[in-house]
Amino acid sequence: MGYNTKYNNPSTNRKLTLWEKLYLPEVIRGLLTTFKHIFRPKFTRQYPEERWDPPASFRGRPVLVMEENGSERCVACGLCSRVCPPLAIEVRASETEQLKERYPVVFEINMLRCIFCGFCEEVCPEEAIIMSKDYELVFRDPSEGIFGKDKLLVPKAELKERLDFLAEMRN
Amino acid sequence: MPKFTIDGNEYEAQAGQTIIQVAQENGIDIPHFCWHPALSVAGNCRMCLVEVEKTPKLQIACGTIVTEGMVVKTLSETATKGREDVMEFLLINHPLDCPICDEAGQCKLQDYAFDHSRGESRFVEEKNHKDKRMPLGPQILFDGERCISCSRCIRFAEEVAHQPVLTFVHRGDHVTINAVPAESFDNNMSMNVIDICPVGALTSRDFRFKARVWDMSFTDSVCPGCSRGCSTRIGVRNNEILRTEPRNNPNVNSYWMCDYGRVEMYPAVNEGRIDGPRMKDAAGKQQATDYDTAARVTAETLKKYHKDEVLILGSAAVPVEDNYAMLKLAREHFGKQTIPFISHIVGEDDRLLLKADKTPNSMGATLAGCVADGHYPHVHGEKAAHTTVLELLRSRKIKAVFALGDNFLTDPQLLEAFEHVEFFACHAANETITSRRADVVFSISHWAERDGVFVNFEGWAQSLNPAVTTNYQVRGRDQLNMSRLDRFGSPYDKWARGHKRDAREGWHFVQLVSNQLGSKWHYLHTEQLFEEIAATNPEFKGMSYESLGSLGQPIASKHSMVKEPIYQEVYQETGAPLMGSGN
Amino acid sequence: MVIEALIKIAIVLLVVLTAVSYTVLLERWVSAWVQDRIGPNRVGPLGLLQPLADVLKLLLKEDIEPMMAQKWFHWVAPVISISVAFSVLAIIPFGHSLTIGSTIIPLTIAPNINIGVLMLVALTSVGVYGITLAGWSSGSKYSLLGGIRSSAQMISYELTLGLGLLSVVMLSGSLDLNAIINSQSAGLWNIIRAPIGFLLFFVSSFAETNRQPFDLPEAEPELVGGYHTEYSSMKFALFFLAEYANMITASSVITVLFLGGWHVPFADQLGLPALAMSIVGILGFVLKVLGLLFIFIWVRWSIPRFRYDQLMNLGWKVLLPLGIVNIILTALEKIYLVN
Ligand code: SF4
Ligand code: SF4
Ligand code: SF4
Ligand code: SF4
Ligand code: FES
Repeated sequence: MGYNTKYNNPSTNRKLTLWEKLYLPEVIRGLLTTFKHIFRPKFTRQYPEERWDPPASFRGRPVLVMEENGSERCVACGLCSRVCPPLAIEVRASETEQLKERYPVVFEINMLRCIFCGFCEEVCPEEAIIMSKDYELVFRDPSEGIFGKDKLLVPKAELKERLDFLAEMRN
Repeated sequence: MPKFTIDGNEYEAQAGQTIIQVAQENGIDIPHFCWHPALSVAGNCRMCLVEVEKTPKLQIACGTIVTEGMVVKTLSETATKGREDVMEFLLINHPLDCPICDEAGQCKLQDYAFDHSRGESRFVEEKNHKDKRMPLGPQILFDGERCISCSRCIRFAEEVAHQPVLTFVHRGDHVTINAVPAESFDNNMSMNVIDICPVGALTSRDFRFKARVWDMSFTDSVCPGCSRGCSTRIGVRNNEILRTEPRNNPNVNSYWMCDYGRVEMYPAVNEGRIDGPRMKDAAGKQQATDYDTAARVTAETLKKYHKDEVLILGSAAVPVEDNYAMLKLAREHFGKQTIPFISHIVGEDDRLLLKADKTPNSMGATLAGCVADGHYPHVHGEKAAHTTVLELLRSRKIKAVFALGDNFLTDPQLLEAFEHVEFFACHAANETITSRRADVVFSISHWAERDGVFVNFEGWAQSLNPAVTTNYQVRGRDQLNMSRLDRFGSPYDKWARGHKRDAREGWHFVQLVSNQLGSKWHYLHTEQLFEEIAATNPEFKGMSYESLGSLGQPIASKHSMVKEPIYQEVYQETGAPLMGSGN
Repeated sequence: MVIEALIKIAIVLLVVLTAVSYTVLLERWVSAWVQDRIGPNRVGPLGLLQPLADVLKLLLKEDIEPMMAQKWFHWVAPVISISVAFSVLAIIPFGHSLTIGSTIIPLTIAPNINIGVLMLVALTSVGVYGITLAGWSSGSKYSLLGGIRSSAQMISYELTLGLGLLSVVMLSGSLDLNAIINSQSAGLWNIIRAPIGFLLFFVSSFAETNRQPFDLPEAEPELVGGYHTEYSSMKFALFFLAEYANMITASSVITVLFLGGWHVPFADQLGLPALAMSIVGILGFVLKVLGLLFIFIWVRWSIPRFRYDQLMNLGWKVLLPLGIVNIILTALEKIYLVN
């Protein structure tokens, strides 16, 4: 046999006792276990009414950080686009008069491609793209799935929790 | 002939060679910033430190002449430590600019920081601030913070461009580069400093921030700007040329190319293209048509005229193959022994690279059997000046013209003489005054979209490679270089949907017309034409696309001119940087 | 007579069809509870209209017929499955009889079948054809494997089923289901008199209805969906319904054979009028069936699927010998205890 796992390796297989070999008692034990669960409190969240506020470590859709002055933090270095496994990001750079002389004229994430891996966030040298808490993504048409800067830019204040989390993780 | 050892291996050097030269010749990479094989030795970056036995201190490999019995160690502990320390000093004031720096991905400093530094900075103080956007010339912006003061740019301006206007100002860690007051580095060779700058301190206004290096695919090509035919490399993203840069070819252009060829040539491939064949309708307006109709109409109309009333024109702007095909057509159907092509002699040689002849293939067209034609006594000498085309046109004997891709009607005399031409079919890649005058326009691929051979004025033949796709090519199938985006994008991705033009290599149309006139040509690929040329033309004997390779070959009568390349910049060699070339 | 039978058929069919769809809901609820979830609660009050939504959804699906399928067999297979599942119900006495005025209506669709047990065994064995045909006619490897497994499994467990049944027949000395029920009227149900027989029959029933832990013919992880991989829309729904109808049938049969049918212990001591007695009987029957259904579902969400070799081992090396031993034991019991 080609494989040898914990489960089919005879040396680690436990010898069953006669009682266990009878099988029925064990079956009944299993049945009792599941029966007890019928009366346990339920975990179900009644979704549209009860919404979930994910913890800061949650990787929802990636967003771009918007500085207080309304401009993006991103310098269009293209690293996120380079690292993105499904090639969801497109960045086109141009020059501005600001101190950071480079900015994205086009920044698009194809949310139909994004797999929420968070690599873009991890690679970004400017902490300009970060994962948000937004998990509600619905489109009626594939073209709606391509998010431009208008949908991606989120004011820094709203992202405080994640930014703090990242700062903490980096130390 | 001193013998010496590097890292335990014995090498032989020419008298007067430095350690780094011998190392380069033998494929040993000694890190260096300020040394450049085509420039004088400055020895100011100290990156090339190596250990030489019996000398108390580390020596710079770029400035140390090899002596008999010398023992050089590049990998010893002290040498490694020395390099690490140099890197640490260099990085003290270097900004963390890589994300916005155009050089990132092909930056020596970045690469060496990877290979030869500790990876940690101990410098916690505020870095120096300098001017980040200072124009040094019309094409060049200088970022003082990124400069590592290697002085390559200064030496280039002085030694190669012969315009010594760049210099260091201030001292210590305030040192920076500036142009001499009231001067600007506006030489036609100026943009080469951008290539040789080992970091991203000098950036091109033309390319600034257009794309990251790793997003582009790079294809070896030849500059079509003048009859020098500099070896170049074309950077393409999304089927659009974003930049051209020179490629080291000792027989043609060394490490350089001129600004004219660099920034004025490629936009013609991206913009103003003729997309599909056109034909003038009854009202004299050009309308889109298909290739077969265009070829049929051309053939039928040409047939109507007497052979002497038809003028067939070659072109110095398109490769040898097209001229060969056109001449073949002229011989088979119009009883001509040779065909003329119009020379484009504009201005003077700059004595560095740029030639007065602004077409890349005059020599190639001539070798293919065409005859240069133009009224340029200062070039051809009063006697040799051919002005037959102009005279023929003026004599009103010519009623129909069929021309290869060449914008020759920019000459007002020719345009005026063209008034009496009844039928004009031409090849054209761009919307030009010539294409507007034509009755039938065949849309041809530009130099960056096709295979073909250019022969430069010295007789050096180089082959073109398609870098941009037309409707008839598929990047993967036709062996075009692919960037990562090309490779993994789907047709639904915006960045994989770059515009493709409906255009083919010129000889396709010559073949279509010729077959309409009754020949039975059956060429499928440009290479077949070149094989035929190599088999029949002694000057091209033994050549093939494969033997031309990336550096080209001399034609048979010029074999004496070959120089061997000794050195390729590492990052130039790999073209696309390591990071981008793989997955 | 005929009209009476037709009315009974109509009522039973209606009740059973509704019951089937609600069994599905029950299944979803129980599975949810066992996993600490709530279960369907959105459609209608408490989610009670969920079956309606399910049926509507299935009806509106596109009916896909695979290119490689044998069209006719592909179509007829689910029909066989569902009709067999329902036809067994015809011989199940779900109550003693209803006395309205002077007419006595026996509460069986096809009363007076004196070989009910044989009929039962015969009908259930036909069920395998539906599945095997479906597997073969779909023209898909998964379906084919599912179909083959199913026939092998059915054949193996039919033996045990029969042996379990035999003990009951021996004890009551009749093949008539009514007689079997009446023989248990003293409160001494067959489950007590023939516990091993019950066990054999019960376990085999799981195998016969393709329920976990014996649902190898449709084992999702290996066979995608087994014999019904290539079915969609209403044809799939028929298989789906057949599975649940089979569960109901199996529960009814077990109730009849081992749990005293419509007999409710101590009910006759209450001295109720005949009509009320009948109704109490029917209710008792229904309750027993419900209890068994719950067990079916409960087992499904507790015990993992057997491996194929384990399934065969269990059938041939454990249950079959046990069945034979049980026959001998029952014979001894009959000779020494009952008589
Ligand atoms: S990695 Fe960050 S800075 Fe770079 S392009 Fe992406 S978001 Fe912008
Ligand atoms: S989360 Fe991952 S997949 Fe999504 S955009 Fe970022 S890198 Fe790409
Ligand atoms: S010059 Fe090189 S190291 Fe400096 S910022 Fe640019 S890429 Fe980075
Ligand atoms: S600008 Fe570039 S080439 Fe010139 S000194 Fe600075 S680093 Fe060297
Ligand atoms: S390369 Fe030798 S000192 Fe700069």
